[in-house]
Amino acid sequence: MSDRTLPRLLQTPAVVLLLIWMLVPLSMTLYFSFIRYVLNNLRRPEWTTPSLSNWRGFGNYEFVLKSKDFLFAIQNSLFIVCSILILTVILGVLIAVLVNRTFPGRGIVRVLLISPFFVMPAVNGVLWINMLLDPVLGLQGLAVNGLNDLAASLRDAPLIGWFFSLWPEFEPISFRATQTSAYAVIMMVTWQWTPFAVLIFMTSLQSEDQQQKEAAVLDGASTWAQFRFLTVPHLGRPIAIVVMIQAIFHLSLYAEIEIVSRGNGNKNLPYLIGEFANNNIGAASATGIFAVILANIVAIFLLRMIGKTLME
Amino acid sequence: MGRIVLENVTKSFGDVEVIPPLDLTIEDGEFAVFVGPSGCGKSTLLRLIAGLEDTSSGKILIDDADVTAVSPSKRGLAMVFQSYALYPHMTVRKNIAFPMRMAGVSDAEQEKRIAAAAKALNLTDYLDRKPGQLSGGQRQRVAIGRAIVRDPSAFLFDEPLSNLDAALRVGMRLEICEMHSRMETTMIYVTHDQVEAMTMADKIVVLQAGVIEQVGSPLDLYHKPRNVFVAGFIGSPRMNLFSGPEAAKHDAATIGIRPEHTEVSTTEGTWKGIVGVAEHLGSDTFIHVHDTGLADTVTVRIAGDIAVSHGDTVFLTPQAGQIHRFNADGLRID
Repeated sequence: MSDRTLPRLLQTPAVVLLLIWMLVPLSMTLYFSFIRYVLNNLRRPEWTTPSLSNWRGFGNYEFVLKSKDFLFAIQNSLFIVCSILILTVILGVLIAVLVNRTFPGRGIVRVLLISPFFVMPAVNGVLWINMLLDPVLGLQGLAVNGLNDLAASLRDAPLIGWFFSLWPEFEPISFRATQTSAYAVIMMVTWQWTPFAVLIFMTSLQSEDQQQKEAAVLDGASTWAQFRFLTVPHLGRPIAIVVMIQAIFHLSLYAEIEIVSRGNGNKNLPYLIGEFANNNIGAASATGIFAVILANIVAIFLLRMIGKTLME
Repeated sequence: MGRIVLENVTKSFGDVEVIPPLDLTIEDGEFAVFVGPSGCGKSTLLRLIAGLEDTSSGKILIDDADVTAVSPSKRGLAMVFQSYALYPHMTVRKNIAFPMRMAGVSDAEQEKRIAAAAKALNLTDYLDRKPGQLSGGQRQRVAIGRAIVRDPSAFLFDEPLSNLDAALRVGMRLEICEMHSRMETTMIYVTHDQVEAMTMADKIVVLQAGVIEQVGSPLDLYHKPRNVFVAGFIGSPRMNLFSGPEAAKHDAATIGIRPEHTEVSTTEGTWKGIVGVAEHLGSDTFIHVHDTGLADTVTVRIAGDIAVSHGDTVFLTPQAGQIHRFNADGLRID
């Protein structure tokens, strides 16, 4: 027995477990994507059991590619993920810099800031769409109505009345509508994930060298220049980590989309898979394979862009 | 120009007064060293001059202009930090250019000054590297380069050599001294190492608990320490200080004799003792003598070598006129 055999033997269970963990679902998905497999079909009951005799070749893939929602789902996936990434990174950096200062009650503020991250995605969705964004009963509806009432009451006021009489009547936005439901999802997920970014940026800011800042002060750097030339480069690595982790998570958003509009006008690939999986497992599996490919493309781009920052 | 005057400056952190009212003048072109044990307020004093800390009261004047309320960057001072404080994601060139970039100096002028600084500091080959790829000594030189290009009226050094190894430290010490004699700019240098203070300074300011114990040239402090603290702090190895009957013989509360001003003999002398540890440096030998009845240990320094070993009996004789006498308040008696 060479000296490497024993360590390898000891590693085997973990490696085998991981392989099973990954390979079994993947190969089953691949298998289902090449056969006709539906949950319920009265005319062709033989399709309801998976079997090689129902071979369909690339038929499922063709079906998915031709379905009207597929391209839209991919675009929408990328739109949602990119918007959330940009918003959380910008908000995260700004809030982290703000909270990093010393002020009374900082501990409480920090805990409150982190708390949205502990809300379950489904609860988050219900909370936002019903209590905040609802055009009638939500905070949005109340605020818009309040603003309209205020403008109306000021229209007859002397001196400034003419100004308010030029104001239009504001319409509350319905975020369950086809055109706007993606924005609602972006808002609620940004709200939930900004704390994650804040948390990571804050720990990084605490390790920032204070003498560097003092040196910059003596070098004549304004607060903005210090932020731009010291803090932002210092945050390069944590930003890379936040972008990477969030990209992985948000490609598989589901609960918020379901709750906001049941996919009406706002689908991403996982949601499309879910819709197909109501009956057509073959098509759902083919979409799943497309999702794997998309995730890999995104991963390659991310690693290209971000890997360099991480390796430095 | 760079004449720095502190008038009645104090600094408190909360209720703790770290610097009681203090007056100090540093003349233009002078190399002043603040020295003292750690926590004596020397770095705080430097930061007050730099403007990184606000004074609690008192005035700071640079070239007769009151700068107490002026922002750090407008005081025309440059500071070199203990940790170098280089910007890690910028190349050496950009690090050195940073203060000029902030001041809006033209690109051509920047290039010119960077080239000059790099040449003076032997950094030309490293301009496109990042600080992480440089050795400690090189980083230190980059930090100095960043200070030089601003053409400041005074340089402030905050223990700049304490992160370097012993050999490099001696080298950098010389470089800074040479830089000073070449540029003739005021320099204020903070250190806890009295050897650095003695070798570099025109003027040493000895501090303890925020109070200036003595200001003077290195040799002044060596030959005429104003009080017991300065006597014990300046000089290496430390001065031997005795109190009690031996001091009373000289009409003083405390007397001090430097190790190098004590004769050693194996046959006769004023004080008798047993040899403890002998440190052989080649050029000198330090002998720690016990059981003299004067103090726990008396250190003596003799040039060259001497044939004594652990447990031998030796006799010590102070050289005439080299005994420092101090009164009950610890002040020098002349």
